[in-house]
Amino acid sequence: MGTRFNAILPGLEDEEGDRVFMLIKREVTRIEGKLSRFRPESDVSEMNRIAKSNDCRLDDELFDIIKACILCNDITGGAFDVTLRPMMDYWKNNRLGELPNSEWEDLRVTLGMKNIHMDESAKTIRFSSPKLEIDLGGFGKGYALEKIREILENVKVKCAFISFGESSILAMGDHPAGGAWKIGMNHYLNPGKPVHHFEIIGGSVSTSSNFFVDDDGSLKNHMHVIDPLTCMPVEQCISVSVMAESPVLAEMMSTAFLVMPDEKIYEVLDQYEGMEPIKINYESGEARINLFEKINS
Amino acid sequence: MYIDRRRFLEMTAALAGSSVMTTAMPWFNIFNDPAPAGRNASDRVRVGVIGVGSRGRGLVYNLQELEKTMNLEIAAVCDTYEPHYQRAIEQTDGKAEAFFDYREMIEKVELDAVVIASPLYEHAHQTINCLKAGLHVFCEKSMARTLEDVKAMYDAYKETGNILLIGHQRLFNPVYLDAMERLHRGDIGPITMLRAWWHRNTDWVFYSDTGGRGTPLDRQRNWRFYDEFSAGMITELGSHHFQVANWVLGALPESVMGSGSINFFNDGREVYDNFAFVFKYPGDIHFTYDCITSNKHNGMQVQVLGNDGTMELESNMQYEEFPETPPALEDLIKTILGGDNEVIPIGGATWIPDAPIRIGGKYITPDYALDDTLLYLEGFINFVRKGSAPEKLTNEGYNASIWTLLAEQAAKTGEVVTCPSEYII
Repeated sequence: MGTRFNAILPGLEDEEGDRVFMLIKREVTRIEGKLSRFRPESDVSEMNRIAKSNDCRLDDELFDIIKACILCNDITGGAFDVTLRPMMDYWKNNRLGELPNSEWEDLRVTLGMKNIHMDESAKTIRFSSPKLEIDLGGFGKGYALEKIREILENVKVKCAFISFGESSILAMGDHPAGGAWKIGMNHYLNPGKPVHHFEIIGGSVSTSSNFFVDDDGSLKNHMHVIDPLTCMPVEQCISVSVMAESPVLAEMMSTAFLVMPDEKIYEVLDQYEGMEPIKINYESGEARINLFEKINS
Repeated sequence: MYIDRRRFLEMTAALAGSSVMTTAMPWFNIFNDPAPAGRNASDRVRVGVIGVGSRGRGLVYNLQELEKTMNLEIAAVCDTYEPHYQRAIEQTDGKAEAFFDYREMIEKVELDAVVIASPLYEHAHQTINCLKAGLHVFCEKSMARTLEDVKAMYDAYKETGNILLIGHQRLFNPVYLDAMERLHRGDIGPITMLRAWWHRNTDWVFYSDTGGRGTPLDRQRNWRFYDEFSAGMITELGSHHFQVANWVLGALPESVMGSGSINFFNDGREVYDNFAFVFKYPGDIHFTYDCITSNKHNGMQVQVLGNDGTMELESNMQYEEFPETPPALEDLIKTILGGDNEVIPIGGATWIPDAPIRIGGKYITPDYALDDTLLYLEGFINFVRKGSAPEKLTNEGYNASIWTLLAEQAAKTGEVVTCPSEYII
């Protein structure tokens, strides 16, 4: 998953902890081997090779994953999109202000999840554009957390804290000292001082952003987050975290909310009880926070 | 890519007949040539487990995993400690016959093999009696508390011709399969030093309700603390890495010197809470090993230093840098251990590893989804079916066990210790 993985399993004997960790590791390794586009032999890589020109048969798991992504694309009005990798690559090599040009225009038309076609009975997938490829980077960590939760429930582990790169977090059960897990959201311009904290009992927090912290402490937009509706990079430095009971949902929504206008985010929140987002805009040089508190409730 | 079962079998097949496989790790051939087994009850390998404490319980889980694919049965379990005895009955759904006395177990139950995970000082008589009763034995490391007992176990193995394997599970680790090939090929150049350590921050108290150090119950439950029963971390931890050093260098030490003390957990325990050793190998190669229980910063590692590179075997890395420890998670662990529930500023954009050039390393072998203890037990069951196991595998366990006790002697006497001729096999 291109990041570091940590599992905190309080209260287990060493042997038991080792055993549970091995089960988790095995599952994460399996998922990575299946979903990573960096691995030529993964199911996703194979799908990306075949589906450009032929119907590609998927196993039930991957078929359901792609369907879930399409559903999320619908729910978010197109903001969650797993086909944007070629557009991200375009923006690595090009600057703003050089538009429109034919390369960008070509990608803009050919990418997008509308170009994915699924056949429910044959369990196949086909892309209607040869340029399209699926990148589950905005999905895999949430999915892995979902599967890890199943494993932990199966072996009756009640309390656990699981992290992928500190951006995708699953907190199960109560904090060992009692009460909810209090997950602080870092203030990027004032590290170590959380701007907000989520209180989680059995749930997940996922964070997405479009910048990195430079050596001098300032924020630099890496221009890798593309708004699917405009096919342009998100220019303001924004970080979004979403707390939800489901790690997959938190993962997908944090990616989508980064590019969605606030009023659209409110519409999504109306459909999901218990989902709590925070959007932090650093563009002005300070953290401007929107917690999306419901006005009517 | 990662090493799943199929990939692992491809790896062992690719090395079949190679000189590294033949000379350094012939036991991996068992996966190329497993023992044929019918599904009949008469073909079933019947195993008894002696000692079902924390390690033994894990081994029972492993054997239960193997029961799904191999014609194997955990026919009996044994523990002198009532709670563990009861727990093992539950763990095996009452299917395994339970005993307090292993002698009764091997007399009453028809068995082919035993797995021994009792305290160190019990290994010798249990192993020897089982071997003499015609059983094959998988015994947890380290072999025994005294040199005489280690040798007596070995002698019983030679006399009876039954299998005796010692549970240094790195012998079956897929990382080592690849690493040994690379080391023999010279990928990191001539090996000039080995460094290994096992650093933990723990009082190492397995049972805290024993009335404290020195009570009879504490001596029984926390046996690792008492000189009569254990050499502490030398036998319980060091043994693993002494085996790896012998294996990687393909030689035995010429001598060992060392020192140990109790400088932090001065609670009445008799074994060192920290120590350091220097082993000297043929070719003037040194292997340094240290253990500490009051600081875990360095964790556990085996570094093989060659003129052209470094392998870190415990982390499956070639070259040497670690990713930095995530401070937020360390803080979280601290608050958990301190019984506090404070807000930890943690959520952030995905942490991305430094560029490969800054990490300075690459995986020795693709990540693997296999458990080395499980592979070892699978190998053991196959060897049992065949009636024999590679002698080198037993010798690895024997030599590592001998040198743990020589190292202990070096630390206790302050002398440079060599191996008495009667223990050289």
